[in-house]
Amino acid sequence: MTPHIPDAVSWCLAVGAPAAAVLLLRQRRITGSLGERIGALEASVAARDEAAHRLASVQAPALAAAPHAAPHDLPPAADARLAGTAFAGHLHSVLEQFAGAAALARDRADQSAKTALKGAVRSLQGLANEQQLSISDMQDRHDDPDVLRDLLEIDHANSQFGRRAQAIAVLCGSWPGRQRRVSALSDVVRGAKSRIRDYRRVEVRTQHELAVVSRAVEPVVLAVAELLDNAARHSQPNTTVEVNLQPAHNGACVVIDDAGVGMDEREIRRAGQLLSGQRAVDVTQLGDPPQFGFAVIGVLAARYGFSVSVDTRSPYGGVRAVLFLPSALLTQPEPETESQPAAAALPAPAPAAPRTAAPAPAEAFPAAPLGQTVGGLPKRRRRHASPEQAAAVRPAADAPLGSEADWDAAWGRSAEDTARRMGAFARGTRAGRAATTDPEGTPQA
Amino acid sequence: MSGDRRLKGLVRPYVVTDGRSHPSRNTFDLVTLVSAMPDRPLAGLSPERRRIVELCLLGALSVAEVAGHLRLPVSVTKVLLGDLVDSGHIMTRAAVPRTPQPDSQLLREVLHGLRARL
Repeated sequence: MTPHIPDAVSWCLAVGAPAAAVLLLRQRRITGSLGERIGALEASVAARDEAAHRLASVQAPALAAAPHAAPHDLPPAADARLAGTAFAGHLHSVLEQFAGAAALARDRADQSAKTALKGAVRSLQGLANEQQLSISDMQDRHDDPDVLRDLLEIDHANSQFGRRAQAIAVLCGSWPGRQRRVSALSDVVRGAKSRIRDYRRVEVRTQHELAVVSRAVEPVVLAVAELLDNAARHSQPNTTVEVNLQPAHNGACVVIDDAGVGMDEREIRRAGQLLSGQRAVDVTQLGDPPQFGFAVIGVLAARYGFSVSVDTRSPYGGVRAVLFLPSALLTQPEPETESQPAAAALPAPAPAAPRTAAPAPAEAFPAAPLGQTVGGLPKRRRRHASPEQAAAVRPAADAPLGSEADWDAAWGRSAEDTARRMGAFARGTRAGRAATTDPEGTPQA
Repeated sequence: MSGDRRLKGLVRPYVVTDGRSHPSRNTFDLVTLVSAMPDRPLAGLSPERRRIVELCLLGALSVAEVAGHLRLPVSVTKVLLGDLVDSGHIMTRAAVPRTPQPDSQLLREVLHGLRARL
């Protein structure tokens, strides 16, 4: 039996060794492939780590800082290894939600800043307007040149103050705040000139018979004032800012040239964006000190339908700004006599001198015929009908009207009538004085 | 002087006078009469100055009236009128002749008369 044992062992070995070898090989293959997988998974985990890190440290801060960035503006969140995986999708959605939340927070902050500013500025605006009215009243009341000089200075400061308040109000979504009548374009430009510090340096070169419609007067004044202020502030104090008014094919242009430092490409691009008025203005992003000018003009231009452009083509080396007013905002100037009928109805002499008796002009100088401008518009109306007119109308009008009260009501009072009344009054007082003998002045006759 | 508030205040007086408040001459009164010289060219005048000349071409006006028509304060109007006199566009004359000084003899007689009565 014993000699069989080695045989048996060798048989076992002969069978077992190949099996073991096969198993060993298989095991090695398995180990190898597992090692590869682990390597791949490790790389993938590293990529995810890196992607998460970039999300937290680069992309989220970029989104939070840039005012109008969207997730697709940023470089892709994951590298190529993660492309198309669910993880990349999740990262992207996180980024989008974060962007949404950031935008919402920004909007809320902007809204609340605007609301607070609007409320504060509106009361300032009201005060500036009130103060301007009282300054105007004082200018009417005082005749002393020294007082006038002080009043003009206060007036100038107040106008600038009012413009600042108005600009902030407009930026916060308010209306420019004052209703004006149809005004000549040259007066609109001079109104804008009234509101800037260096108004003496602004020269309005040309004048045209163009007027701006009532609703656009204040916005255009405000926009031109911002342009003039920019031009004056960015040029030497000894240079002039030149304004030309040019009629165009379907509107008119206000061309403002300065001899200042000009603007570089980047500034012009930024100005163009703001002036287009396409993008909502974020009051929290105006810089420190805040720069309102172009943003305000952009808001006004978009709202009222005019356009403004700036570039560096000023013939004097500075900036040329052009404000284009379409025909829809232009009209014919109202004749100057517009407000005269009101004056004609007043029996009082000159409206400018309520407390001082100015001589009635119609007495001293017979009424002149109605004048006409070169364009044929009526120039001005005397307060009384001329004697010829009155004489021509009177006989015909007497019959139907009858009583003198009717006549007065219909015509004011004719010169003859006034003269007759004055004459009667003078005769009466003279007669009364002649008849008086006692010191109390009681008539005895 | 209520006026139309929408009309006032667009072009401020300091722009109208270019910042000046003192007239170049101090000869104006509310009732000084202003008349225009018809042969002077209007080119180069500011709108307000031009309007003063145009108004006064139609007949003489008092300073107060000119101010009323222009809707400007009288003191501002005087500055403009001073300039126009200097440039020869207008001429002025006092409206009312100066009242002669009362005769002291006459006053004395009145005094005597009153004393005699009382």
